[in-house]
Amino acid sequence: MTDTYQNMALFGVTIENLNKILATALSKGGDYADLYFESSKANELSLRDGQVNSAGTHVDYGMGVRVLSGDKTGYAFTEVTTMEEMIKAAKAASVIASQNKSRIDGFPVAQILETKAGNGYYPQTKEWEHISVSHKIPFLQRLNGKIFSSDDRVNKVMARISDSQSSILFYNSEGVLASDVRPMLSIVATCIMESNGRIENGSYSRSYRGGFEFLTNSLIDHIAKEVVASTSFLFNATRPKGGQMPVVMSAGSSGILLHEAIGHAFEADFNRMDTSIFSNKMGEKICSQEISVVDDGTIPFNRGSINFDDEGVPSQKTYMVREGILESYLHDRISAKHYKTNPTGNGRRESFRYMPLPRMRATYMENGKNREEDIIASVKKGIFALNFSNGQVQIGAGDFTFFVKSGYLIENGKLTQPVKDINIIGNGPEALANIVAVASNNIIDDSTWTCGKEQYCPVSCGMPSVLVNKLIVGGNE
Amino acid sequence: MLQKERAKIALEYAKQSGCDNARVTLSSATQSSFTVRNNQTERIHQSKSASLYIQLFTNDRYGSFSTNRMETAELKKFIEEAVRVTKLVTPDTYRSLPDKSLYYTGNGKDLEQHDNSTSKLEPSQKNQIAFDCSSEIYKSDPRIISVNSEFSDLDDYFYMIDSQGFEGESRQSSFSLSCECSVKGKGESRPEGWWYESSIFFDSLKKNEIGKTALERALSRLGSVKLKSGKYNMVLENTISSRVIAPIISALNGASLQQNNSFLKDMAGKKVFDGNFRLFDNPHLVKHAGSRYFDGEGIATKPMAIIENGVVNSYFINTYYSKKLKMPVTIEGPSVPMCKYSESPGNNPSGRDLGEILKHCGNGVLVTGFNGGNTNSSTGDFSFGAEGFVFENGIIKHPVNEINITGNIITLWNNLIDIGNDPRTSSRWLIPTLAFENVNFSGI
Repeated sequence: MTDTYQNMALFGVTIENLNKILATALSKGGDYADLYFESSKANELSLRDGQVNSAGTHVDYGMGVRVLSGDKTGYAFTEVTTMEEMIKAAKAASVIASQNKSRIDGFPVAQILETKAGNGYYPQTKEWEHISVSHKIPFLQRLNGKIFSSDDRVNKVMARISDSQSSILFYNSEGVLASDVRPMLSIVATCIMESNGRIENGSYSRSYRGGFEFLTNSLIDHIAKEVVASTSFLFNATRPKGGQMPVVMSAGSSGILLHEAIGHAFEADFNRMDTSIFSNKMGEKICSQEISVVDDGTIPFNRGSINFDDEGVPSQKTYMVREGILESYLHDRISAKHYKTNPTGNGRRESFRYMPLPRMRATYMENGKNREEDIIASVKKGIFALNFSNGQVQIGAGDFTFFVKSGYLIENGKLTQPVKDINIIGNGPEALANIVAVASNNIIDDSTWTCGKEQYCPVSCGMPSVLVNKLIVGGNE
Repeated sequence: MLQKERAKIALEYAKQSGCDNARVTLSSATQSSFTVRNNQTERIHQSKSASLYIQLFTNDRYGSFSTNRMETAELKKFIEEAVRVTKLVTPDTYRSLPDKSLYYTGNGKDLEQHDNSTSKLEPSQKNQIAFDCSSEIYKSDPRIISVNSEFSDLDDYFYMIDSQGFEGESRQSSFSLSCECSVKGKGESRPEGWWYESSIFFDSLKKNEIGKTALERALSRLGSVKLKSGKYNMVLENTISSRVIAPIISALNGASLQQNNSFLKDMAGKKVFDGNFRLFDNPHLVKHAGSRYFDGEGIATKPMAIIENGVVNSYFINTYYSKKLKMPVTIEGPSVPMCKYSESPGNNPSGRDLGEILKHCGNGVLVTGFNGGNTNSSTGDFSFGAEGFVFENGIIKHPVNEINITGNIITLWNNLIDIGNDPRTSSRWLIPTLAFENVNFSGI
């Protein structure tokens, strides 16, 4: 159970202190101000050449002060939480109000309205703080052993267990006082295989917002099996002939299509600035009625889940597209005010060093009615995209890409030649409109997805298998 | 200076905690950014930060730790715990501090990496620079949707000591001005154009024409069409050409070589690329960002020929991988990589700029932006999303988008046509316009 007052003690502040900092932040005017305190400890343990031979711990501590004046933001942070330094930060952030000649002079600071304890979506039974390196070493050794014993072509294994825990305290000029403890576990394994002078590499990862209880032998065995399978696959794979063709996206990590192709374009800051290709589409039909797209911060233990966002707004499941209609953007407080709607709990930040922005959490498409095998069977010639590594989008033009690490050619409705290392590019609204079949096999992918919009944020994505009838696939002539 | 004392105290704590050897690095930064959107101040961000990194070498074991909590009691507790954790991992006899004879010992001439203007500039002055940049183009064209400009400055201090007696420090400043412009395109499309300038010195920072360049680049994207798939000459603009150098730098890294995950493994001394390809590291370039006298281990940097006339001349090997690979230490990585066309007799010694390269190539695709993609580190196979312009007879004809470029890094560099003479001095990496033939473009 998170104790808000315990977190206040951690940062050495009282309600009176917090009110004084807020009053300073709003001393030149402004509509709103908030304080975000964070104390994070991240541990890393690495295996290389068969040995768990590197450990590390990284501590980050500080607080940020934000002042909003209309759509304008002033932000400053300090790594020292003495009143003197925090007041300095508040004064620096307050400059924005004088810059914009805010109409409100000396905003009255409310008393505490609400206290939230963050124990909802990721309660830990074994907190990382109490877990020694020696408890984690056997898992990396097991992972190494399992990978090497699976295939005699395995040449090298690199693996890493990262865990972290962040204590958060939030207070704003509306009187919302909130605290949270946010855990994270990530395991990444990379496998190098060599066969007849040919070398291939593959990686596989899992990540959860949870404690030591998530680090189990069965998880390790699953990672070992998958990384060997995905690397082994590449020896038989070739580059396809490139060009425009139908693409069947397999269930799970193909959710990167949603993240890049439409998710970013639905983030309300881009729409507020009128730079998104979806800026004028609210309430319109933008794709098949079979399609509903969700951004959800409430999936238990999911990498993208948050009990409340970094503006103190409770997390929620937000329908961006419901039955083909654009229903909601992803809002922070600034954009919600601009659009005269409620924030959706998407105001997120990398750390106290950054101001929050509208960011995704777990973005996925809900199930359709088709079967994956029927979708594949419907394609005469195309690509079945199986595993993905990274993606990118140009918000205004709408062009997005994602990199397919492995997949298959589809010929006459059947999966044939394995393919690898191809980039796929498309246009967001066109690709969404070109999804012509959705399967009923939605999977939320638990890989270590990290979104890099100005700052880094942990996210996740998911999708049932879908058929996009036209995308441009990289490949040979 | 107080910060130096903190680092020295940390080193002493490590020794007191029973650690054989340690390296302590302290970095601190003061930075600010002022963002103006559509001639209104949108964001002001100001900060000071400091972090202490400590690498521990004890009982043949290794750990790497960092903290920004530098109060005496906190620091002592943190380091004691770090030493305790390090002693729990498996011994790794390859881990050690460097050979002392490789250390930078000082007395280098001033690389002119710092301008103390950061502390003299008033916030209002910085905001005005961003505002002026936006004003260059705001409302100048009815097709403009949004203009975002940003001025930012950074004052960065770095201090490193180790238990073998190395001590080094450096200070860098940076001033940047950027603009991003969004314009109304066909249908709902809103093409964007951007431009930026950056300099170590405030007075040297170019402060005009940035907005105009961003607008020109945005307008040039109007009317983009998809490209017909095929093999084309490819010219990479100097803003993005480093994308085809980065996989080479990565493949030359000791970690990649030792982990059998490099397409340039066992290639030292071999001609791998076109004979006209030359890649250098020039770490002592005065007044250029990234120049430095020592790397992250304290090892002295020196000018290096990395690729000489297509031959792999040097890998990037630090102390750890030197021992593992039984190869000599070079440097952990490049400081200021530079790329040049061979200066063999018969080649134009002054080189060509973008316009001349387009003429030289005749027909092809000028790539001005990459969009995603990746390179397979084991094989060098790449596939990148891109946008740019079709050119014919050296003249730009029309913009193209939604294209994929696919190939292999070694093959690409063996299809080299030219390396330009026009690297952007705003960038740390000095990679000019590049031209290649016979490149696979996938479109419609």
